Amino acid sequence: MGTRIELHLFGKLDRAAVDSARRAIEAVDDALTIHRPSATTALNQRLMAGLPCRVDDPILLDALVEIEAAYGAAHGLFDPAADMARPGAGWEAVRFDERQGDIEASQPLAFDFGGFGKGFALDRACDSLRACGVTSAFLCAGESSIAVVGEHPLGGGWPVAIPHPLEPERVLLDLELRDAALSISSTVGAGANAPARAPMIRPADGTPVSAARTTVAVDRRGARAEVMSTALLVADDAQARDLLDRAPERRFRFDFSLERAQPAHAYEVALQ
Amino acid sequence: MTDKDFDLTRRAFLDGVLKATAGAGMSAAAPWAVSAAMAEPLQSDRVRLGVIGTGDRGRTLIRNILKTRNCTVAAVCDNFEPHLAKARALVPGNTPAFADHRAMLDARGIDAVVVATPLDMHARHTLDAFGAGLHVWCEKAMARTIADCSAMVKRSQDSKKVLQIGHQRMFHPTYLNALRRAKAGEIGEITQIRASWHRNTSWRRPIPPGSNDRKINWRLYREASAGLMTELATHQLQIGNWFLDAVPTRVIGSGSICFWKDGREVYDHVALVYEYPGGRKFVYTSLLNNARYGCEEQIQGSKGTIEPELGRIYQEVPPKVLALQRMQEDVKRGHKRTVPIGGATWFPELPVTTPGESLGWGEYDETMLQFEGFGEAVRAGKPLPGMLAQAYQASVASLLGEQAMDRGAAMPWPTDLATV
Repeated sequence: MGTRIELHLFGKLDRAAVDSARRAIEAVDDALTIHRPSATTALNQRLMAGLPCRVDDPILLDALVEIEAAYGAAHGLFDPAADMARPGAGWEAVRFDERQGDIEASQPLAFDFGGFGKGFALDRACDSLRACGVTSAFLCAGESSIAVVGEHPLGGGWPVAIPHPLEPERVLLDLELRDAALSISSTVGAGANAPARAPMIRPADGTPVSAARTTVAVDRRGARAEVMSTALLVADDAQARDLLDRAPERRFRFDFSLERAQPAHAYEVALQ
Repeated sequence: MTDKDFDLTRRAFLDGVLKATAGAGMSAAAPWAVSAAMAEPLQSDRVRLGVIGTGDRGRTLIRNILKTRNCTVAAVCDNFEPHLAKARALVPGNTPAFADHRAMLDARGIDAVVVATPLDMHARHTLDAFGAGLHVWCEKAMARTIADCSAMVKRSQDSKKVLQIGHQRMFHPTYLNALRRAKAGEIGEITQIRASWHRNTSWRRPIPPGSNDRKINWRLYREASAGLMTELATHQLQIGNWFLDAVPTRVIGSGSICFWKDGREVYDHVALVYEYPGGRKFVYTSLLNNARYGCEEQIQGSKGTIEPELGRIYQEVPPKVLALQRMQEDVKRGHKRTVPIGGATWFPELPVTTPGESLGWGEYDETMLQFEGFGEAVRAGKPLPGMLAQAYQASVASLLGEQAMDRGAAMPWPTDLATV
């Protein structure tokens, strides 16, 4: 996944629970990575060759099921098959039978799960921890994907402050999490300008998002939080307004293009 | 810069060297730097240096000598009058100037010689100076042949005179700090160093009236130089030996005149692999028609990488989130605080391009410290510890690399070298 994942468990130390969560994360990485041979690279090879594929890896299959649901929920604004180099490539070109695991595409395309993979991995790790009886845990992948199990060990929610991407000493957003996941997407700030970092692109036309923007999404599931923060980042103003209005306490978008340090829209201020 | 500013900068530089050399294992790994930085050079009774060779490099050395607290330029020598005239302009008007180095040695009045002549002259000038009972500071590389390098070492030992070779990185706070952090295990076991010195230049200088191509562009001709190997690679081979704490077991390489087909005799492209005990490697390239990757040594360990020219250290694993470590401490103390966390941190697996952490820059010319150290060594009649072995081994490695490329064969490390 190219990132550091931290698991902070509270209460009685349960080594088996930690090991189980770690295995869950590594299993997702093994299945979804495109940086070494995996179920995903095998699928991509078939789809790029214009061939159908039967997905028999249960983790990849679950991820595709999740993505199919997310694609609709995010109005098509999250698309792990979109590609700047291949206009028209995207989930719209995919035909997926989740019962059989059959997948094919009407044009060559390949999946890159990116940040979705981190949220998906955290979900499975949290599921594993809960199954082991863990009631209080904080997990993060890098600093852009966070998930919490239960409440803070001292009671109540987990208080989290997201720094302003351009002025890290300032707080952009305060949140309190309980049994929830948080995803942050940004075109600015630490890591956003890393030379080899893939740009965020609009699925509709494959163009990169150049606006200075940060989005935050909270959801019960990390994969869905990742989908929503990405969708909010690439959405135009009208699309963003629609997505934000549906869950104003859990979705946030900050635009720094015009006014470097201020949210661009009044409704975004209100959401804070 | 005012004298006060200079004093402060100098002090900060020395503090940087001392701080860098204070780590575990550093007194053994860089004893010369410790000795040089610990010395409190006297401003009176300066060590008198005669500089042979006052071209660009020689004049740079003169400027650094003049900054020291314990050395002075007591004579200058060059057989090319325009260079000698430029040197005269840097020193007091009554400083003796010579066109022939023998005349300078015979005139006495100096304690030591600084050799900044073309490479093939180093051995002769050094041996002549020892013959005159003088100590020697000589530019790197040591000499044109391994036999001459060895002869210089042996003559230094036999005559009990100091021989110091100019490797400024051995005094550079950034390099010393890099070594300290490597010794502390911060980048794990070092298994490979990938080094390059890439320039986009012909390396050919215009010929002034009264001179000729072979004299001015001596670096391009084999009788005087091994080109990229002795003029550039020797610096980085010293770094390789230093950080790998060993000398190579053998070297393989390929060299060619690939781009500058202008009558030069030395390679303008070299690529070599130096093998070290335990399967470790120093992988080196140098060329003269592409500067994209410039000059760097990538010191690669199991836990991280150091790039000293850039002054950066990189960890293989991203660092822990400090805010989460603090949260753990808070919970133990029964204290609940907001966790500041969040930012775009997704990086693809390869290549990982992270900004790393600064090693700290040296803002002072380490060549000055070399001369202060040399001045103290001359006063004591004892060389700075450890320096000559490093320089000798680096020069041998550079010349051995030339042999490997010329012969198209792996060249084992010589077994008949002088013991330093």
